[in-house]
Amino acid sequence: MERLDSITFEITNCIGIITMDLPPENYLPVPGFIPLKHFEKWIATENLKGLIFRGAGKHFSAGGNLGKIFEAGKDPQSIHRLVGEGIELLNFIQCLEIPVIAAINRVCFGGGLEIALACHMRIASENALLAFPEVNQNLMPGMGGTIRLPGVIGLPDTIKMLLGGDMLNAMEGQKLGLIDYIAPKDQAFEFSVNLMQKMTHDRPLKVINSIMKSLRNSRIMSRAEAMAEETRLFCSLAIDEAERRKSEKPA
Amino acid sequence: MRTIQWTVEEGIGRLMLNQPPSNTMTIDFFGEMKEVVNVITGTRNLKALIIYGNGRHYSSGADIEELLRNVDQKIMIENYRTFSRIEQMDIPVISAIRGVCLGSAFELALFSHFRICAEDAVLGLPESGFNIMPGIGGIRRVANLAGSAAAIEITLRGNTFRAQDALSMGLVDIVVPKKEVLPLALNFAALLPVKIDKENRNIYLHKFLKPLHAKT
Repeated sequence: MERLDSITFEITNCIGIITMDLPPENYLPVPGFIPLKHFEKWIATENLKGLIFRGAGKHFSAGGNLGKIFEAGKDPQSIHRLVGEGIELLNFIQCLEIPVIAAINRVCFGGGLEIALACHMRIASENALLAFPEVNQNLMPGMGGTIRLPGVIGLPDTIKMLLGGDMLNAMEGQKLGLIDYIAPKDQAFEFSVNLMQKMTHDRPLKVINSIMKSLRNSRIMSRAEAMAEETRLFCSLAIDEAERRKSEKPA
Repeated sequence: MRTIQWTVEEGIGRLMLNQPPSNTMTIDFFGEMKEVVNVITGTRNLKALIIYGNGRHYSSGADIEELLRNVDQKIMIENYRTFSRIEQMDIPVISAIRGVCLGSAFELALFSHFRICAEDAVLGLPESGFNIMPGIGGIRRVANLAGSAAAIEITLRGNTFRAQDALSMGLVDIVVPKKEVLPLALNFAALLPVKIDKENRNIYLHKFLKPLHAKT
């Protein structure tokens, strides 16, 4: 296990686990809570097939440390840099070519929910609570939440969530499409590991990367480009598999 | 044609995948599919197209062994184009799914505008279990219909699932007993306009498909 300030990284069965370790609420000290350089190094671990974010103890994360934000707010340059690091980190997470799951037990507010939105799947325990309460402090989500959320739950519910600042429970989150699966009480992490193993166990990394890449292409490329790229990825996998089968056959 | 049967009855085109029992999608099939699509787009006064399988199954998808012996980027692009042309048709395209509907066959169904599914149907994109991936747009279509998270899970796990699960994910439009699948598809096709608004599929589901089903 590696530790960097309040974040730990460990690997079990080719699955990376990132724990925000500032219990009880796991308030994040800064938006860029893992320096990108270190994060890139962790991700480059050989044969890493999936990634799970979780909070230490009972909660996922209650969000950012607003004191730090308000202090940095005294200097425009410093607040821009601080928030920019967070945005860069979350964009990097979203673009990863391995599946990334947010394992959400109990509280997931503000910056915590921003992290969860950058993940590819969100699994919440039945006692989880979700909210963007920034509006109550005369703020708004600043790490892409306002951009990612409409793509997940649609515009009307996004407006309601961002302006209302209301809390949702796991069931309500699932109804909106914000939560993909509900796990038993406090079991989001165990549920996530189980699902991640089903998705990555026995799968060569190249297959995982190709599928994730193709999915991402379908969101960001024109249809024709994404199609051409999918064919290229498919054929490359098929050629590998044909070779593998040939070499396996007894002479 | 050997692998597909194409007929028109009362203005409704019927494309039957015709290599029973499992209606495997061989290289020959994809070649003939391209021809049929040419014929369909050239047929005048066609009101709708229904795609289904001969016998108990829709189709088990591509012949993996054959496919791996003949990996050819050009052919893949050609197959993709053929399926895309089905999706781009102005007339409504309905897949009537019974039995197994896996891999490329599920992709063909996903390229249809509507999917009517039998209760005991088995669906999925099992390609990753063969160390390959869905290659004809299935990932994009699942993501559009059921969301990215579902697309990731379905394609990486490669597990098969039941009609009811497909319905709750939005991957099929209605689930009925297997005997009713084809009649419902034909009745639905007869009610649909000749040119549908693909961006607003739900209108047709509420206006025609669900009331039709409620009557039976």
